[in-house]
Amino acid sequence: MRYGWGAVLLVVFAGVGTYVFSHGLQADPSVPGDGLRGRLVLTGSSTVAPLAGEIAKRFEQLHPGVRVDVQTGGSSRGIADARRGTADIGMASRALKPKETDLTSHTIALDGISIILHSDNPSVALTDEQIAAIYTGKIAKWNQVGGPDAPITVVNKAEGRSTLELFLHHFKLNNEDIHAGIVIGDNQQGILTVAGDPNAIGYVSIGTASYEVSRGTKIRMMPMKGVEPSLANVRNGTFPLSRPLNLVTHGEVSQVAAAFIAFAQSPQVHDLVEAQYFVPIAR
Amino acid sequence: MPKGAIQPAGSLATWSRGRADWSDRAVAVVVWLTALAVTGVFVWILADVLRHGVSGLSWGFLIDGPRDAGRAGGIGPMIVSTLLVLMVCLAVSAPIGVGTAVWLAEFARGGGLLGRLVRRSLDVLAGVPSIVFGLFGNALFCIYLGMGFSILSGGLTLSCMVLPLLIRSCEAGLRAVPDEYRRAAEALGLSRSAVLWRILLPAATPGLVVGLVLGVGRALGETAALLFTSGYVDRMPGSLMDSGRTLSVHIYDLAMNVPGGQSRAYATAIVLISLLMIVNTLTCHLADRWLHRRITRT
Repeated sequence: MRYGWGAVLLVVFAGVGTYVFSHGLQADPSVPGDGLRGRLVLTGSSTVAPLAGEIAKRFEQLHPGVRVDVQTGGSSRGIADARRGTADIGMASRALKPKETDLTSHTIALDGISIILHSDNPSVALTDEQIAAIYTGKIAKWNQVGGPDAPITVVNKAEGRSTLELFLHHFKLNNEDIHAGIVIGDNQQGILTVAGDPNAIGYVSIGTASYEVSRGTKIRMMPMKGVEPSLANVRNGTFPLSRPLNLVTHGEVSQVAAAFIAFAQSPQVHDLVEAQYFVPIAR
Repeated sequence: MPKGAIQPAGSLATWSRGRADWSDRAVAVVVWLTALAVTGVFVWILADVLRHGVSGLSWGFLIDGPRDAGRAGGIGPMIVSTLLVLMVCLAVSAPIGVGTAVWLAEFARGGGLLGRLVRRSLDVLAGVPSIVFGLFGNALFCIYLGMGFSILSGGLTLSCMVLPLLIRSCEAGLRAVPDEYRRAAEALGLSRSAVLWRILLPAATPGLVVGLVLGVGRALGETAALLFTSGYVDRMPGSLMDSGRTLSVHIYDLAMNVPGGQSRAYATAIVLISLLMIVNTLTCHLADRWLHRRITRT
């Protein structure tokens, strides 16, 4: 037993090493494909990243010579990395701004944003003006909009999130004017926050929210201007608060990147888009 | 204390003895309660994680790659990435950490300007939020040194983060070695390196182990520092230059970003906690054996 533990550790590392090595060989692009080979790096929106990861896996299966690495970090990062060249393709869950003309966007799916309340909250419908007033702190209690005598917990998204930008743009608000009780990052966190506070109001991706509602999570999605928040209404364009999920490129695009973008926009990935609770683009 | 030693002291002694008994008991109760509360929190977390996650565990879950953004399939690549990142982190931070600690405790004992400066900067570094390390690692390793999103960048970033913990507890271990050891060794005419290898380091091993255990814990649980360095790619890594998603990044993604990922996040958390326990036990045993050999062979 003198060298017992050392031996155990050696065996473990050797095992891991062998495993890694054999898998590394499998991923080696020595398999004859269609001649497309290279490596792509995608960074950006955490909303798009899981979808892009799934598309990347299918793309790699079709083109064994290509490796697609999907990183995350938020839309702003995706835009910045695409511009700097740190990433081949950026991911952004919003349309490009007028001053971002140096970039090209390629829409791969659509997503809507829904206002959500706790399911026990009886406030039936809020107008756009009321929502804006709640977020700027002019309305601070639910009884001012026909609800119970309770303070409103305003849940806002963190700076740099495209959901925040879309929300501010739609309601013509400035982020400095928002009196947020809680600031959140990702969709799932927003849902957990609102489901845990009967007095909360927040906004998240429709796809994520519908999935959580179907699982019985204690949230309610609020209609906007009389239109139900549903994937169908995002698809037919009637829902007012929707956004494109984009791949973003800067300047000349490599052959591999162009092939990946074309694949991500093709009907071959519609099932993947729907599996992530987004709306495929009609082509 | 032999029974009856203070017995004949009269009623005052009986009274103060009674009071002492009472306050002793109160202290004991408080100490027990705090210990129980700490254990209770751990057991609560563990029970919660087990309750939600145990149904998702299976052999396939440990080996397969993830499918459907992690809602199906397994976490095989994440386990391998986590171990590789940890390996890089420890391989870099352990020697540097011990070296710096030896310098601080043995060579810069008096607290010269440089020693004070190093100590102060380590204490500040230990409190820096991990996202700052992540952004720093991304700028230095990934972009400036051109390593890109890779397990190597992630491991190096983590070692920057773990070093302060490791150095400070290792230094404390060395300082706890009684000066008589050093004087005795000096009297015997032993060389400085012999003293270090044969006496000081083995005697300081408990501090080193504490540092390693804390460091491993911090490294395994890290997400913010790794998101921008070792990255988000959930493929099986082929080399240290590949990007690889660690278990805690995977848990973060499932819990925060993937609708319906909750139960898988819990199952992954069970694996992460088990891994932490295994690595910690292994660290303690290895250090123990090494210590033992050093002392008995001398």
